[in-house]
Amino acid sequence: MGDFQWARILGYLPDLLRGVGVTLELGLISASLGLVLGLLLALMKFSKVPVLYWPAYVYIEFFRTTPPLVQIVWLYYGLPLFTGYDLGAFGAAAVALGLNIAAFYAEIYRAGIVGVHRTQWQAARVLGLDLKDTLRYVVLPQAVRNVLPPMGTTTIYLIKDTALASAIGTLELLRIGQLVAVETFRPVETLTIVALLYFVVTYPVALLIGRLEARFKVARV
Amino acid sequence: MNGEALIVVEQLTKRYGEATVLNDVNLKLGSGQVLVVIGPSGSGKSTLLRCLAALEPIQRGTIRIDGTLAAKGDEESGAGPDRASLKALREKVGMVFQQFNLFPHLTVMENITLAPRRVLGMAPAEADILAMDLLRRVGLADKRDVHPERLSGGQQQRAAIARALAMHPRVMLFDEVTSALDPELVGEVLRTMRELAEQGMTMLVVTHEMAFARDVADDVVFMDNGQIIERSPPAEIFAQPKEARTRAFLERLLEREGRRDA
Repeated sequence: MGDFQWARILGYLPDLLRGVGVTLELGLISASLGLVLGLLLALMKFSKVPVLYWPAYVYIEFFRTTPPLVQIVWLYYGLPLFTGYDLGAFGAAAVALGLNIAAFYAEIYRAGIVGVHRTQWQAARVLGLDLKDTLRYVVLPQAVRNVLPPMGTTTIYLIKDTALASAIGTLELLRIGQLVAVETFRPVETLTIVALLYFVVTYPVALLIGRLEARFKVARV
Repeated sequence: MNGEALIVVEQLTKRYGEATVLNDVNLKLGSGQVLVVIGPSGSGKSTLLRCLAALEPIQRGTIRIDGTLAAKGDEESGAGPDRASLKALREKVGMVFQQFNLFPHLTVMENITLAPRRVLGMAPAEADILAMDLLRRVGLADKRDVHPERLSGGQQQRAAIARALAMHPRVMLFDEVTSALDPELVGEVLRTMRELAEQGMTMLVVTHEMAFARDVADDVVFMDNGQIIERSPPAEIFAQPKEARTRAFLERLLEREGRRDA
C-alpha cells in the first residue's frame, strides 16, 4: 500500500468512534423532530384554513430554500443574541437540522397522503369515521407505504448533513476526522476511514427501510 | 306512507359548476322498501345516491333520512346539517360502491370492525362477534383474516356489504355494485342483496341488472337528465312504461342484453 499509513490512523479509532456516537445522536434527534414536525406541517398544508395553511407553506419554502449550514449558524449564534437562550453547539445543530429536514419530510408525507385514492376517504366518511380516525387507521397506514423510499433517501442525506455541525465546533465524526488529519498530516487515510464509518451508520437505515417496505407492501385494491 | 317515509328528498338541485346534474328531484321511500334507480349514464342516479350519503353539497332543496337532516341547499337560507346530525346520519346510512373501496392494508375482519369500534365504541370482542356473524351471512366466514387483494371481486363486494351492515344502518345505498364485476361473479352479490331485501332492509339500488329490479324492487325509478321521469312498480314499468323516454331506454337495454345472451 505504498506510503499509506492506515495503522497509524487506526490508533485514533476510539476517538473516531466517539464521533460516530455523536453523529448518531444528532441524526436520531433531528430525524425524530423532523418526522413529527413534518407530519404536522403536511397536515396543515392540506387545511383550507389560512392560518394553518400559510404558516406551513412559508415554513416549508423557507427551510428548503436556504442552506442548512446557515440555519445552524443562525440558531447557534443568532438565537442567544435575540432571545438570550443558548442551545449549545450540539443542541443548536440538532434542532436546526431537525427544523430543516421537517420541511423535506413534510413534502414527502404530503405526496404520500395525496397518493391514497380519494375513494378511501369516502369509504371512511360513509362509515362515520372522523378526520382523526380516518388519518390514523385508513390514510396514513397506506401513505407510509408510498413514502418509505423517499423517506429513506432523505434520512440518509440528513445523517451525512450532520457533518455540517462541525462548522460550529460540535465534535461529531467529521470534526474529529479533521482534527486527526491535522494531527497526523494524513487527510486521505483519515477521511477514507471517516467515509467508511458514515457508511456503517447510514447503510443500516437503507436496510431498515427495505425491511419496512416489505412489511407494508400491500397490493392496491 | 307520507308521514313515515324513511327517505324524503324535496326539490333537490345539484350542480357541478354550470352543469345541473340533479334538477328539482323529489323522492320518498318508506321503511323496508326497495327502490331501484335506472337510467342512462350521466342521468344523475349515482349523484343522487352520493347526495343521500352526504358526500356532496347540494345547491337547493333538502334531504331527510329517518327524520335527520342530511343535506340542505347551500344557496338557500337556513342552517344545513350540523356535526351532530351528520354523525347521526352516518350511522343510519350504509353505502356500497362500484369499486368496493375496501381498506387494502386491513384484513376482511379489520375492515368490518374498524367503524363499529371507533365510531360506536364497541369492545373488540363484541365487534369480532358481530363481524363473524356478518361474514357468515355473506358467506365469507373462512376469509376473515385475508387481505382484500386475495379475494375475488364478488367476495370483495360481499365483504364491503358486510362492512356497511356492521353499523346497523336503517338504509343501504348500492351504487352500481355489480358493474365492475366479471359476469360470473355478479350472481353471488345480487343474491346477498336479495337476502338483505327479504330481511326488510330499506334499500336504494342504482343498477343495470333488470332481472334484479323485476324481482326485488317495490318500485323502479327511471331517471334522465337529472330528473325523475317515471316511478312505477316493476311489473308496470317493464310491461308498459308511461313515458316514451323510459320505453326507449328499456328497449335499448333489452336489445343489448339480448345480444349479450346470444
